[in-house]
Amino acid sequence: MAAIELKNIVKSFGDTAVVKGIDLNIEDGEFVVLVGPSGCGKSTTLRMIAGLEQATSGDIVIGDRVVNDIEPQHRNIAMVFQNYALYPHKSVKENIIFALRRQKVDNQDIERRLTEVSEMLQLEALLDRKPADLSGGQRQRVAMGRAIIREADLFLFDEPLSNLDSKLRSHMRTEIGKIHNKFGRTSVYVTHDQVEAMTLADKVVVLHDGYIAQAGTPMEVYLNPANVFVAQFIGSPSMNIIEGRLFNDYLQVGNYRLPRQQLSNVALQTTINEQGLPVKVGIRPDFFNDSRLFPETDNTFNFNQLQIDLIEPMGFDKEILFNLAGGSVKARLDLRSEFKRGERVDLIVDLSRVLLFDNETDLRL
Amino acid sequence: MTPLERAEARFGWKLVAPTIVILGLLILYPLMYNVYLSFFDVQLNGSKIFVGLENYIKLLSNTDYYSAIATTSLYLFGTVVGTTLLGLAMALLLRDPFMGRGLVNAAIMLPYVAPVISVVFGWQFLFDPISGVVNYLFVDLLGLWSERSNLIGDPDSALWVVVLFDIWKHAPIAYLLILSKLVSISRDQYEAAAIDGYGPIGRFFHVTLPELYFVLATVVLLRLIWNLNRFEDVYLLAPNVETLPIFTYYQAFTGVIDQGLAAATSVIQLGVLSIFIWFYIKKIMKW
Amino acid sequence: MLGKKTIKGRIGFALAIVLLVSFSLLPFAQILSTSLKHQYDWGNPSLIPQSINLDAYKELLGVTEPEQVEIPAAIQKILNNPKLSEDKKQAIAAKYTANDNLFPFGKYMLNSVIFSVGAASFSLVFSVMGAYSISRLRFKGQVVIQRSVLFVYMVGGVLLMVPLYQMAMNVGLASSLWGSAFCLFLIYIVQTLPVGMYMLGNYFRGIPFALEEAAMMDGCSRKEAIIKVVLPLSLPMLATVFIYCFIIGWNEYLFASVFLKQYPEFHTLPLALQELFVSKNAIWDRIMAASMLTLAPIVICFLFASRFMKGGKTDGGVKG
Repeated sequence: MAAIELKNIVKSFGDTAVVKGIDLNIEDGEFVVLVGPSGCGKSTTLRMIAGLEQATSGDIVIGDRVVNDIEPQHRNIAMVFQNYALYPHKSVKENIIFALRRQKVDNQDIERRLTEVSEMLQLEALLDRKPADLSGGQRQRVAMGRAIIREADLFLFDEPLSNLDSKLRSHMRTEIGKIHNKFGRTSVYVTHDQVEAMTLADKVVVLHDGYIAQAGTPMEVYLNPANVFVAQFIGSPSMNIIEGRLFNDYLQVGNYRLPRQQLSNVALQTTINEQGLPVKVGIRPDFFNDSRLFPETDNTFNFNQLQIDLIEPMGFDKEILFNLAGGSVKARLDLRSEFKRGERVDLIVDLSRVLLFDNETDLRL
Repeated sequence: MTPLERAEARFGWKLVAPTIVILGLLILYPLMYNVYLSFFDVQLNGSKIFVGLENYIKLLSNTDYYSAIATTSLYLFGTVVGTTLLGLAMALLLRDPFMGRGLVNAAIMLPYVAPVISVVFGWQFLFDPISGVVNYLFVDLLGLWSERSNLIGDPDSALWVVVLFDIWKHAPIAYLLILSKLVSISRDQYEAAAIDGYGPIGRFFHVTLPELYFVLATVVLLRLIWNLNRFEDVYLLAPNVETLPIFTYYQAFTGVIDQGLAAATSVIQLGVLSIFIWFYIKKIMKW
Repeated sequence: MLGKKTIKGRIGFALAIVLLVSFSLLPFAQILSTSLKHQYDWGNPSLIPQSINLDAYKELLGVTEPEQVEIPAAIQKILNNPKLSEDKKQAIAAKYTANDNLFPFGKYMLNSVIFSVGAASFSLVFSVMGAYSISRLRFKGQVVIQRSVLFVYMVGGVLLMVPLYQMAMNVGLASSLWGSAFCLFLIYIVQTLPVGMYMLGNYFRGIPFALEEAAMMDGCSRKEAIIKVVLPLSLPMLATVFIYCFIIGWNEYLFASVFLKQYPEFHTLPLALQELFVSKNAIWDRIMAASMLTLAPIVICFLFASRFMKGGKTDGGVKG
């Protein structure tokens, strides 16, 4: 097992830069999830760590070796591929032990590890089958088995669950989490699914357009996003961004004035001129509460008389949409709150959850 | 380039090197050498005398050359049209699965894979003036012809026998190409056309044909490319049908041998062929 | 499809299929039929022989003893002359006992097998290497090589016969038996290599990169990944390419006639058959039987290859 360090990694294909300068430390035993929309450079970064792509510039350090010029087969890395990449002409068993055979691990040891892995992943009954005879979920488990049977320094996962249906996906997500807890191996996991990122990661690295937008624990990126992109990418439904104007004493949002002193999660302390400062106000749908169910305190603000445009019931939860400061804003309430369309409601928000972003740079204030 | 990328490039060159050497030495170099030879009077034993453009002048004033061009044009026209149409008909006929399709498939592919040398004898026997079944059919059975004739013996009719032979032998290739496109046309399109009120014929012209346009062009171009160089199929069945390749062969290896003249013929033919190939690579191939 | 299946439609369809199959198979049926007929039966348009005649096959396959040719008495006298050296005697005897009528089919077949199997094997090896390189590895000049291969793939043999013959003449290979055979062998490799490259290149492109990457993650070098993953996976295609190259060599006539016409002991089947046909030693049943026997290996290969091809799929290992 090993720690990994990426130092100012850049990758260009011809004239197009895909990764534009990434610095990242991954500690020994850490589970890091690279997450971002397609084209953000997350898969390319993973493939550079694997050695399947060569960085245009920058250094990759695994353990104490700079691996830039080390071929992938000598990096001692195990990887689970998006399309599983099982060898079609080999049986499940042969697929799983292929690497061990090559390393000339002795037969007894191979058998022991095979038994352990196939029990863990419930593959015992499938060992003699060919990949073509397996279902998608089974293939995925074989691909997992092929990786975890090895004693690699590092485990890489390239969107391993993206080809599964949603039920199977959440099941396998839990399995991967359990396996990581059991072995505690250094892992880098690429996904575009922020739920996987939140649930699995020790550290979430949000990539945007070839750069790291933010790296931190799941709760950090959820509660304290560094910019509008991260704020909206992490969390579902995504954060409301509302136009507002900040004055010395208050924050103007539509017709509402929120007291500035109580915005405890806003670092900006400078005085502001008379016109006020245009800002983007971020409030997660989950942080709106029904005033009939939640008591107002000194730290809350009541958006009263909001007119409901649309209600989307989802079972336990319901999402309601209303207009605030010229934009459509979403709030998530639960089944205790009953409304009709067109009705007016009072919603309260904990002021410490209200975030401000710079109007120009989209960075947190 | 990083060292690993360089290593990959080196490995790539190493693997392809034997191929480059062989193809360069035995195809590209001969093609150029051929141009060189076309300016010489070349003997079979290898001795050469420089004659400048004389071979080309001789060639262009040779009426046999023009008649070979005419024969080749007819041959190309007949085979391209025939092969494409038969291939299309076969593909349409065999598109949907039915019992025994595998067997039918194997049967119609057989002419394509069979050695020319064996099947030409079957064809010669079929057209034999005395014992052949063709004469029997048209003269004795149907009475369409007044007397038995040697269709392969007479160069004019032999040309059409050769064309028919080529269609028989190469329609399966056209069939395969067209079929693979045909089965990829989605059912939705036909269902949409049917709902819009088109019958089978309307559907053929408004759905099938536009979809096949590209693959049909491919078939035509490929037939032109291959048949311009076709030698065995013509020579072995009817050596009296002088298409360009056979004309060249006679110049180079039989009678009054004039390899320089043959080289000049090949150079001109390569020029025409290159245009077809260029078209093919530019417009069709995405290799 | 969408159309209703009427009785009329079905009959028309069946009729069309029967016509098509008959058109494709008639020449083959004719060859088989004539090869089995007695001479008196040739003019009979029916494909079914009145009685089966296997003589031609027996003769070609050497099942019947060739007739012993008597050495004329006058010659026998010369042979008995003790002054003549043993070598000369044998040469003279051989001249008279040689059975010109005999068609050594087995020998020609062996020649054909050696040329086409040999060339196909070399071609396969080179085209695996070349096709892998141009379809999988990244290096400058790759596109140019790809285009060139496609180009030479389409340049027919007729355009090359003069220069290749002259080249062989220049280096002195065309004037000896083994030299000519060697030239022909090389030419068969050249004629099949672009085809093999083309077919395998397309096939390799269809194998997902991820499979090789997985092998490398499992500790294989590129070479090992090729040998342990790509090639086993391509076995059906390798067999197909081999058979395809074999068929090209087996069927080739032009260059065989250019290089080997004067060396009867090295004649391949197409050349030998054509020589037999024009020699007017030709008897239809014998020619047809020889055609049948030349055809047989190809038909077997073809049936084998078309069955094999269905197994050549990579799905299962990769979704998508």
